[in-house]
Amino acid sequence: MTRRARLWVLLAGGAGLAALLVAACLRLPHFGGKSHPYGDRAVHASLARQTANTISSVNFDQRAFDTLGEMTILFSAVLGCVILLRQTHDEHRARPEPAEVAPPVRRYALVVLPVALLSGLYVIAHGQLSPGGGFQGGVVAATALHLLYLGADYAALERIRPVGAYEVADALAASGYLVMGIAGLIGGTAFLANTLLPYGTFNTLSSGGTVPLLNAAIGMEVAGAVVVLLARFLDQAVEIEEESGT
Amino acid sequence: MNGWTLAAALGLAGGLGTALWGVTTGPLRRRVVAQNLSTALACPSLLLLSQAYNRPSYVDLGLVLALLGPVGTLVFARLLAEELAEDPPRAWGATLTVAGLGAAAVIALCVATGPGRAMAKLLVIGALLISGNIIASRALSGGFRGVRGG
Amino acid sequence: MADAVIVVALLLVAGCATAAVATRDPMRQALVLSLLGVVLAVLFTVLQAPDAGLSQLAVGSALTPLLLMLTVRKVKRRAQGKERER
Repeated sequence: MTRRARLWVLLAGGAGLAALLVAACLRLPHFGGKSHPYGDRAVHASLARQTANTISSVNFDQRAFDTLGEMTILFSAVLGCVILLRQTHDEHRARPEPAEVAPPVRRYALVVLPVALLSGLYVIAHGQLSPGGGFQGGVVAATALHLLYLGADYAALERIRPVGAYEVADALAASGYLVMGIAGLIGGTAFLANTLLPYGTFNTLSSGGTVPLLNAAIGMEVAGAVVVLLARFLDQAVEIEEESGT
Repeated sequence: MNGWTLAAALGLAGGLGTALWGVTTGPLRRRVVAQNLSTALACPSLLLLSQAYNRPSYVDLGLVLALLGPVGTLVFARLLAEELAEDPPRAWGATLTVAGLGAAAVIALCVATGPGRAMAKLLVIGALLISGNIIASRALSGGFRGVRGG
Repeated sequence: MADAVIVVALLLVAGCATAAVATRDPMRQALVLSLLGVVLAVLFTVLQAPDAGLSQLAVGSALTPLLLMLTVRKVKRRAQGKERER
């Protein structure tokens, strides 16, 4: 097929798709409305269990099984990356040269690192009260650690980041989530049912039953997973080189 | 209709629109400065939106952006150090203007919130935002001269 | 008035996404993608989805640019290594 013929086919297909999209958009329901059957029930259930953040209640209480699936997706993705980015037999490690960073940037990184780490833990801990939760806080905490690479040195980062420990933490947290689910089975109700712990007082840190615990497990899992993922990327980009002359 | 919503809409349209123009056109030094200033402009807009919708819990978004926005710019400053060394950005006028706008937004919000924990949190976010913005600009214009492939 | 903010955010997302597709060099595209991340987070916030906005901010502000730039660096280093061998 010549190039022009291909372009004509593309235009014809694109015109058909555009016509269908416009027809579909004209029949969409209005932006926001008055009838929200699922939303009403979800909010009602969340308030009945004293969880202020309905999203967290849906993620870790009403649909906790889906969150288990998402955690497994992240875990497998990081596992796949670790396998793909491992050092092969025709590669060797070369220590990167130490970096000289301007003193204001260095000082900023060293001051903001604990603040960012604390903020990450704050976001994890307040998942059941305000927007946030395990995933968001875990990513913030893991990124905070890498301020040490960006503001100082790769060697400095390696000292505070023994990768093996983070891999273990990742696996432990994933198992922790599963074990809490099994505890629901053993406690006599259902897998990941939120009936074991008291629901506490609305809008305080100890509310929502198992929601804060599952938040903590997800936070630890995501932080560990992100640190391990970045460690592999950094290794490949900074340290590992191919043998020359093969 | 709300003064805060109007201010947030203007900040978003003007600030992020200009950032979009800066990031897509021009030499590398303009693009990295536009990326830097985009996070410094989006953070006060998010704080204004939290006041506009009367939901104090949205301030957490501003906190995370004030912390991680400069980290994003440091990523580019460090990993593009060689390309930027040939043609370093010099945009202190724009940086100080954006810092001033951010400070004005934070002060207006503090006045509206009144003394208490919420105001202390806003002040912390403001301090992180402005210091992060200035340090990130400093890093872009020659902060990583001694970095070679690390 | 609340609708005006939504329209602004939607237009910014449309413009940024088109720019991201139109930029071909990976290094410059990483810069546009960083801006797209921030603009998406703002869109989620004005549509009253702050949890999604917080996720987008956490991932798109520092993590995605870091992964992209490290990959670009690795690919460039390999190309330079092959050049030097020749």
